[in-house]
Amino acid sequence: MIAFDANMVLYIIEIVIGGLLVGVGVHFVPVGGAPAAMAQATGVGTGTVQLAAGSGLTGLLSAGLMMGVTDNIALIVISGAVGAMIMVDATMIVGNWVYIYGVGVPPVSAKVDYDPITKEPQPPYISPGTVGHGIPTVSFVSGTIGGLLGGAGGSLIYYALMSINQNPGLSGFFAIGIFVVNAVIASYNIQGTIEGFHDPKFKRVPRAVQACLVASLVIGIFAVLITGGA
Amino acid sequence: MSVAAGGGESKIDKTKLMMYGLGGGVLGIYLTHVLNTITGSGYFSFLAGLGVIAAVVMGSDAVRRVCSYGIGTGVPSIGLMAMGMGLVAAWFGLSIGGVAGPIIGIAIAMGFGYFVGLLANRIIKMNIPVMEEVLMTLGGAGAIVLIGLSVVVSGEISYPLIISSVVDTGYIAIIFIAGSLAILHPFNANLGPDETQDRTLVHTISTGALAMFAAGLASLATIGAAGFLTVIIAVIIWIKTFMWYFQLVKRDSSGVVGTGLLPEGGL
Repeated sequence: MIAFDANMVLYIIEIVIGGLLVGVGVHFVPVGGAPAAMAQATGVGTGTVQLAAGSGLTGLLSAGLMMGVTDNIALIVISGAVGAMIMVDATMIVGNWVYIYGVGVPPVSAKVDYDPITKEPQPPYISPGTVGHGIPTVSFVSGTIGGLLGGAGGSLIYYALMSINQNPGLSGFFAIGIFVVNAVIASYNIQGTIEGFHDPKFKRVPRAVQACLVASLVIGIFAVLITGGA
Repeated sequence: MSVAAGGGESKIDKTKLMMYGLGGGVLGIYLTHVLNTITGSGYFSFLAGLGVIAAVVMGSDAVRRVCSYGIGTGVPSIGLMAMGMGLVAAWFGLSIGGVAGPIIGIAIAMGFGYFVGLLANRIIKMNIPVMEEVLMTLGGAGAIVLIGLSVVVSGEISYPLIISSVVDTGYIAIIFIAGSLAILHPFNANLGPDETQDRTLVHTISTGALAMFAAGLASLATIGAAGFLTVIIAVIIWIKTFMWYFQLVKRDSSGVVGTGLLPEGGL
């Protein structure tokens, strides 16, 4: 039956913060979609949800691993964040190998004239008819930040749910469910593709923050009421 | 209607599909529960699987309607979101509602869907007129698929039993991903300017049968040999519908001609 106590408010807040981190994190990950898969746009050549789910699940795994050792929330969240960062970085570096050595294109951004981090000029390296290709330094750094936020958010949701129902399977899948909803809302906000924090689309973050806040709040209220069975 | 990702005329009305999907899904789940409890066996688990196929068809048609507006993020995103909303709502329903759980879960999932659709249109400003209605349908379909496949595995609507036989065993992972693929894959595979509703939906029945097959295999470990009935029925449905689908593919393709290899220096 439904039992409500003061701790639940705390858990709901944790879920909402987690959802917000996921929603904002998606904006940092360089997602190129189908054009990037053909090396005609900057970013990793797949959809937001696949990237977010891949890094988020790795984050959950590493958070779950840490949870077996300690129940210190900071360590668990950091562990999840690092796991997701490693996953996103591995995806981006292998993607870059394919773009550089397989397709034969230099990683380049089409949204800025100079890479904000390396200060390298970008336009001379863009193949005619494309909008950039590969994952340039700025997008790589941005993607790592995205992994950090997404992983931290996912593990925060997982931690909150674990505190309620004590069932790793259930918490893990609810965390994935809440994660996916926020990631998809955020990816609608960027219309499927973004290069990273230097992309003009990044300015739309406030809208995703509002939408993810409300969505996580509503789903979080229901999620904390679910018991672990038995 | 602006046609971005393709999507032809609808021959079958959406309200009819929703009626069959919701009705068939709920009926399948409850028939399984009642008949399995009365007979004390697991032989009727396949009925929940059939209900899932009905719900998957409803969901796939909704995916088809919204994706023809060009949502920009690829078809899989919306199918996964449906399952994400459906998961939390379905388990909430099962957790508080007992036997009435599935209906509560489906209703809440549809509520979530409508709400997220509102957010997408009002805050994100996607301006897709069918967004609320489609996400509502998809949330409901996601919840039915999750509850239905869980009931196939557990044999009856009982929260502790579903937790122990579906969640703790890890079968929830198979159910989650096979269920979402059943909803999102057909339109993803058939989209394009020549997409036709009947081809996509027949394909959906076959992917739904595959999800049922996966749940049937999982049920062999939980309800025992009775699960074979689910597996066999799913295989029969898959073979039948896949052949039907192949006929429709041949009907819709403009022609396949062998041209041989390019001649030397032909480029």
